[in-house]
Amino acid sequence: MRKKLALFILLGWVLLLIGDRVDELRVYQGAQIAMYTIALASIVLLTGYSGQVSLGNGAMMAVGGYSAALTLNNLGSPVWFAFVMAVVVSALFGAFLGAAAARLSGPYLAGTTLALAVGLPEIANQFAFLGGVPGILFDVGFPPARFGEEFTQYKWFFWIASFIALLALFITSNILQSRYGRTWRAIRSHSLAAELSGVNSGRMKILAFTISSALAGLAGAVMAMTISLVAPGAYTLSLSFALVTGAVLAGVSSLPGVVFGALILVAIPEVADVLATRWGGDENLNNYLPGLIVSVLLILSVIFTPNGPGEKLKSRHHKKA
Amino acid sequence: MQKLLETFLIGLSTGSIYALMSLALVLVWRSTRVVNFAQAGQAMLSTYIGFEISTRTEIFWLGLLFAIAAGALLGAGVDYFFMRVLFKHAVSGPAAVVAPVIATLGLLGLIRSIVGLIWGGEFKTIKSPASTDGFTFGETTIPFSALNLLIIVTVFVILIILAIIFQRTNLGLSLRASAYAPEIAQLAGIRTARTRTIGWAIAGGVGGVAGMLVTASNFLSPYSLDLLLVFGFIAAVIGGLESMVGSVVGALILGIALTFILNYIGTSLVFIGGFAVLIVVLLVKPDGIMARGRARRA
Repeated sequence: MRKKLALFILLGWVLLLIGDRVDELRVYQGAQIAMYTIALASIVLLTGYSGQVSLGNGAMMAVGGYSAALTLNNLGSPVWFAFVMAVVVSALFGAFLGAAAARLSGPYLAGTTLALAVGLPEIANQFAFLGGVPGILFDVGFPPARFGEEFTQYKWFFWIASFIALLALFITSNILQSRYGRTWRAIRSHSLAAELSGVNSGRMKILAFTISSALAGLAGAVMAMTISLVAPGAYTLSLSFALVTGAVLAGVSSLPGVVFGALILVAIPEVADVLATRWGGDENLNNYLPGLIVSVLLILSVIFTPNGPGEKLKSRHHKKA
Repeated sequence: MQKLLETFLIGLSTGSIYALMSLALVLVWRSTRVVNFAQAGQAMLSTYIGFEISTRTEIFWLGLLFAIAAGALLGAGVDYFFMRVLFKHAVSGPAAVVAPVIATLGLLGLIRSIVGLIWGGEFKTIKSPASTDGFTFGETTIPFSALNLLIIVTVFVILIILAIIFQRTNLGLSLRASAYAPEIAQLAGIRTARTRTIGWAIAGGVGGVAGMLVTASNFLSPYSLDLLLVFGFIAAVIGGLESMVGSVVGALILGIALTFILNYIGTSLVFIGGFAVLIVVLLVKPDGIMARGRARRA
């Protein structure tokens, strides 16, 4: 535990050093990677550990983003409190949904959460206090003056996002290694056996859904910060798909893998952009190539390495031994 | 009274389109145990093909025929080249439960991107085969139009054809048998793999019709059928995911209920209403309205 804390602090320090040495765009992408890391951790916890599929984590991110923005704008609270509210509100929302979800198996849960992912942005369009299509501003403010003139806005985002991501990963990894993590794995691999050993699987599933939603909500608030805005267009079905893809690429049950998954998710639009420009820079190509790459990666990985890239290596290792 | 009646009729027309989508989902679910989220993509691609044909020839019905054919081919292709490969790599481990669902999602994304690359994101419209102006009785004009009537009739005809296929032909018998008890069906000499592919083809064709009919009074874009998929899924759940009759009844109920919300409360609550119906059905009657006390399978 203490060792792990030291490791995370070391990681944070390395991130700070890197943040000082790369250009502005990379710093911004660093903030995005941190955001995706939190979002993917929420899927790993839910799908990889407790065995529930949610296609609606993008919608949960919207809940977090909107609660953070509404708190900051209407209550005039400090920024940290907005993030706390994002976690609290999305956790409550998740607990409510989880109560319904815990009774659902595979396809029912997937469909219900898909409905949520399609519908929630539509709902945001309909109500005036949620700002409609243009959304509402979420401005965390300028970096403190004592960091100096050189310290840019993006670097400030990067600092906040990385700090939150490290904190979230630290807490999540402890939860996953605790009694709860073990119980979730037991439910996932054999729910009947787990129940016979005295596990209340319904309650544990709701707990997983709640924590996962809290993480997703936090990621949503971080995302709102990096684009200074919450709008229905930011939390689309494509976002939910991208998250599932990232989690599958990372290996659904590996927490350290989420960093890799997040890297890929941020890299794909970059790569697509380069390719689209090389192949003529057509407008359709620019708009749809990232989606094409994401889907092809998702399909290939689900067919060939459904348990993550680590799995093949591990099984090969076992064969040799 | 008049508003009540016209809401009911329009609901019937909306619901009958949902019925096709939910029927497509149920057909695939019965045979493959996968909720095929790519159905929205398959239907969309078929509709784009129908759009091209009906715009060039200016005959809606020719477009519809092509959409059905494209949908059927696409459905069979997805099963043959995709689902079979997926199940051959039958996975174990943490991803086993989620792999098929995620695979159909990937397919939806893939079809959406391909459509986007070819046709772009701008809204297309298909010329409606019938007037979209409401019928006029003497002085009053009601919102229920010739197109609505045509939609109901078309869906009704397709449902009758499907009912005949499923109840009166050998193909229908083997489709039902391999969905109900695949192993026993195989022992009885039914080529279940091929039957399954045919089931996917029928589902694909039905989805193509749904896409064309929705688009006749609406626009077409790479995202325009997502809501149809969601409402089709909700309807299928109301019917219990297993029963074809149940899915049609569920869709009609859902369509009428949502149109009532739309006309009497407002647009903003339509989706919330649909979602509430889904949650309530799942909590109160998870086996659907057609369940006869049989436990839900996996």
